[in-house]
Amino acid sequence: MIRLDARSSVHFCDGASRRDFLHAGSLSLLGLSLGQAATVGRVPAKEMNCILLFLVGGPSQIDTWDPKPDAPSEVRGPFSPIATRVPGIQISQLFPRMAGQMDKVSLVRSVYHTATAVHDTGHQMMQTGRLFSGGLEHPHMGCVATYLQRARGEAPPHVLIPRPIGNTGGNLPHGQNAGYLGKGFDPFVLNADPSTPDFQVPNLLPPDYISAVRESRRRSFRATVDASIKDFEASADARLLDANFQQAYSIMSSARTREAFDLKQEPDAVRDRYGRTRFGQSCLLGRRLIERGVRFVTINQFETVFNELTWDSHGSAPFTSVADYPTTIAPNFDNAYSSLLEDLAQRGLLESTVVLAFGEFGRTPKMNPAGGRDHHPNCWTALMAGGPIQGGRVVGASDEIGFAPKDRPVTPAEIAATTFHALGLPLDTDLPGPQGRPIPLVDRGVEPIHELF
Amino acid sequence: MNYSDRQQRRFWLWLYLGLVLWGVPAGLSVGAEDVSVEPIGPTADGRWSFRNHVVPVLTRTGCNMGACHGSAAGKNGLKLSLRGYAPEIDHAVLTRQAVGRRVNTSAPAESLLLLKATGALEHGGGRRFDPNSLEYRIISEWIADGAPAPVESEPTITRIEARPRSISLPVGQTQTLQVLATYADGRCVDVTRWARFDATDISVAKVDDQGLVTVLGPGEGAISVGFSGRVDLARVTVRYPAEVDAKLFAQAPRVNFIDNLNLAKLQALNVPPSPPADDAAFLRRASLDTTGSLPKVDDVNAFLADPDPDKRAKLIDRLLASEAYVDFWSYKWSDLLLVSSSKLPAPAVWSFYRSVRDAVRENLPWDQFARRVLTAQGSTLSNGWANYFVLHRDTIDLTESTSVAFLGLSLTCARCHDHPLEKWTQDQYYSMANLFSRVQLKDGPGGAGDVVVAATSEGEIRHPRRGTVLPPQPLEGQALAIEARGDRRQAMADWLADPANPYFDKAIVNRVWAQFFGRGLVHPEDDLRATNPASDPALFDALVADFRASGRDVKHLVKQIMNSGAYQRSSTTRSENAADSRFLSHYVPRRLPAEVLLDAIDLVTEVPTAYAGYPRGWKSLQLPDSKVESAFLDSFGRPVRESVCSCERSDVPSVAQALQLVNGPTLNEKLRNEQSVAAKLGRLPSDDAVADFLFRAALGRPPLPQERAAVLKGLSDANAGLTDPAALMKARREAIEDLTWGLLTSKEFLFNH
Repeated sequence: MIRLDARSSVHFCDGASRRDFLHAGSLSLLGLSLGQAATVGRVPAKEMNCILLFLVGGPSQIDTWDPKPDAPSEVRGPFSPIATRVPGIQISQLFPRMAGQMDKVSLVRSVYHTATAVHDTGHQMMQTGRLFSGGLEHPHMGCVATYLQRARGEAPPHVLIPRPIGNTGGNLPHGQNAGYLGKGFDPFVLNADPSTPDFQVPNLLPPDYISAVRESRRRSFRATVDASIKDFEASADARLLDANFQQAYSIMSSARTREAFDLKQEPDAVRDRYGRTRFGQSCLLGRRLIERGVRFVTINQFETVFNELTWDSHGSAPFTSVADYPTTIAPNFDNAYSSLLEDLAQRGLLESTVVLAFGEFGRTPKMNPAGGRDHHPNCWTALMAGGPIQGGRVVGASDEIGFAPKDRPVTPAEIAATTFHALGLPLDTDLPGPQGRPIPLVDRGVEPIHELF
Repeated sequence: MNYSDRQQRRFWLWLYLGLVLWGVPAGLSVGAEDVSVEPIGPTADGRWSFRNHVVPVLTRTGCNMGACHGSAAGKNGLKLSLRGYAPEIDHAVLTRQAVGRRVNTSAPAESLLLLKATGALEHGGGRRFDPNSLEYRIISEWIADGAPAPVESEPTITRIEARPRSISLPVGQTQTLQVLATYADGRCVDVTRWARFDATDISVAKVDDQGLVTVLGPGEGAISVGFSGRVDLARVTVRYPAEVDAKLFAQAPRVNFIDNLNLAKLQALNVPPSPPADDAAFLRRASLDTTGSLPKVDDVNAFLADPDPDKRAKLIDRLLASEAYVDFWSYKWSDLLLVSSSKLPAPAVWSFYRSVRDAVRENLPWDQFARRVLTAQGSTLSNGWANYFVLHRDTIDLTESTSVAFLGLSLTCARCHDHPLEKWTQDQYYSMANLFSRVQLKDGPGGAGDVVVAATSEGEIRHPRRGTVLPPQPLEGQALAIEARGDRRQAMADWLADPANPYFDKAIVNRVWAQFFGRGLVHPEDDLRATNPASDPALFDALVADFRASGRDVKHLVKQIMNSGAYQRSSTTRSENAADSRFLSHYVPRRLPAEVLLDAIDLVTEVPTAYAGYPRGWKSLQLPDSKVESAFLDSFGRPVRESVCSCERSDVPSVAQALQLVNGPTLNEKLRNEQSVAAKLGRLPSDDAVADFLFRAALGRPPLPQERAAVLKGLSDANAGLTDPAALMKARREAIEDLTWGLLTSKEFLFNH
């Protein structure tokens, strides 16, 4: 997690026990301690997965999933609503394929937040449920799931594709790492573009001239040196390095995991259906990873909001304009998202895989003079599907111009609570904060969106 | 409480000194201690002031916060300035817009402002205050008084102070903070109920919005308080609970002022220092931190054998005089100045880099370094510094990049409005930006990369809200007349070097400090905002004073740091200091930076990396440009040099890095190269000699007995059952490669410790 950690103060909580566990030889992927494993045992771990599609930039609610055909033209925007497979639910014409999948997805049309209207705050809240303050970085939902449920087999439990969110202007952390849980629970970051022709996870296998005998001798020499010096006992980064090597070896030793990253095994027709874009192939990769044991996949549709066409449609350079929605951004999403839902459903995986898609905020209902829309955290739409979440429902409503929730406002904390609940993680579970202080998954009193279940 | 006599004497001495230093020069009248503190109340003529009372109410109750009416678009038709930075505008908005319904002077209680804020009328923001509250009384009486506008002559706020300024309590205890505001007329008002409180480190203490501080854990944190655009800090110091032998502090080396201050801090926190690092660890650390290079085997042998008690100080002098020092610090300042071919043609990159390199070589005082950058003119090919203005063509970019680079301050928020959490105003921003509005760029005759930079007599940047041009003025320096002739940038360079400027020296001292301790006294190293306190302010001030006294000599600063006992501590922790990573109780191990790591691998394997377009044997730290292809460097967090931010570089380990080392081509191909150290050592008959050389080359020390035994066994096992000489040689060679790999992927190699 390149830029993020540099800004953060990350706390490692119980290094001693974690290290002991590693020394004991019975390795879990992330080196969870026995104490933690016991905690995990108390969580009724339903075998749920999650794919989170983060729509970086913040899609306009009006131009996507909350159309306002009766609003004045400066609000209504250039696109018309279309009917969907679910009677009564209309979405923008930009998503014809998704309209055919509407029975699988529910719309929450009344999400809002009250923090500063910069991208970064929304990234934090929508992925961790909380705004960062007091030097405390909260963990991404996938890192929480990783912490509580551990890995399943050799696959890394949480994979982030293709790269972490980079600069979006606010110079704040984006909520895509494990925060106070410690870097050992950070996601495995792909750091490659799965749509490139020669895509592969870099360095996944040893060169052919390194035999198994040599591999083992190398590890043994390394272990000899590492065992002899005491300088690193208090260093969280050194423990992280150990965990990284363990995880690397674990991925290498599992043909199934390596296969998960091998998009060449997918027929061309399937790859085309997802769209030959970075996001399209990322979603296909996400599906393969879930099929092969990864618990949580986070996919960033974009990496920044500058000099790239994204949902951040201010209308003026270096940003995108609303006119770019129908040509690139919306089809990019529609193809990837619809294919993902189709494939998961067809494989029987949708029942056990929560699929989330949302951005960090909505956009101003009134179009600006540049023909764009600006940041608007007062109201936007989140897409929730899969697992125990029922499809074809609409929760909440915005007012007549999509400015603010009119009915059943939903906070980012409630989105997080809904996700944890859907994953079978009890909301009253405590996580170990700084100095071991318990921090609940969500603040007391925050409830899941019950209407979705 | 039982004070010993000595403690009592010390107490009275400090009290006396405190009075002398604080009270006497101040004439016993100015300090807030000696002024009677008033509660919030109307001005002398019995009136409430819009600026000093009404706006603070709107701020404290959240009306003008970013999520509500303070947002750029306002809310529901009402737009106020963010946290009340523009009272004149807010007054007009509240009294003149919406056909005067917001403020009804004939029937104050009917004013929308009160009806909405109390929830009597439907209000998206809910109920903000109660009709029985002081806040309601102030606004309604101000309305009844005719809703007077802010007047220029009324006393403005000059400063705020948190009381107490420092809190030292055990875990679980609480303390209520008081916030005092001092106005230009000398009045001091208790504004606690309107202040904003934030904890900087909630592992130490938290605070609620009434100012109640609760201590949560050991260490040191701060509570920042804010009111009317002013900020102050209250420091919370919490001793670690362990029993610590006082001798550990008394016996720790005290080489210079750094140690006296640091040990006092450690003692206050009850965190004992680790003992000094051994010679091998010190040699490796000192070489890596000053030159980015590992010591060579001969240097290791000579240093370990040298009986001279001053050998560490002498080593430091040698390192500072080395060519590798020039390489390393030129690279570092090229990071800071974004020297890269992503925006500059190759001749310009070289020209810029040469200027930086010359400055490092002659150890140019830092104020002159900054002056050369900021006042550069002429051809970018003959004066490399001028490329700074090619990289930052835009006045806004120039303003913001310059403040991060040389002041450690991010002013970006103030571009659009007064900085919500700091004291910087939008006026200050555009006044400073106007210093950079007269830079002219023209293509020069020298071909690719030649741009002629000149200061012109025309060009202004307008303040977007006021629509006017403000006199050019460095942040806290003297304003120039708009019509004044001459290069405005000189005023910026003058102000940077002005002793009254507290930021410039702090920024560089903190950067250099971070180079040696992995983290600045202020962290992140380029975030010197007032609400981000230093881990040890007394030490920070002393370092800055020493740096100034040296004539802003960076090498002098480096020497002071490296000679201190604080820097020379072992990275092995004691049980009582293992939890500390901020107060220098032990050296905190850090993964080697990308370029340093690759150069170290090159050195040990004896196979240099080839960089396209550079001669063989070129080190990565000698590259003038960060845009030289290297998957290895990218994977290990090399900065891209696109924005001035210490956050561009990452030294966080990752799985991708582990995979790179285990399977990647960089290390593996070097090991099996015919010129590699493994090939060379394969020709040595003695396994013992092989082990000894490789440990010294990679780790800067001989192998320990148990390591030696394990290595010898591993090497001889590789030959088991082989008799054919060629097969034996191959097997031995591979085993040596594998030993080298084991050393180069160990924590001891990958970390500076």
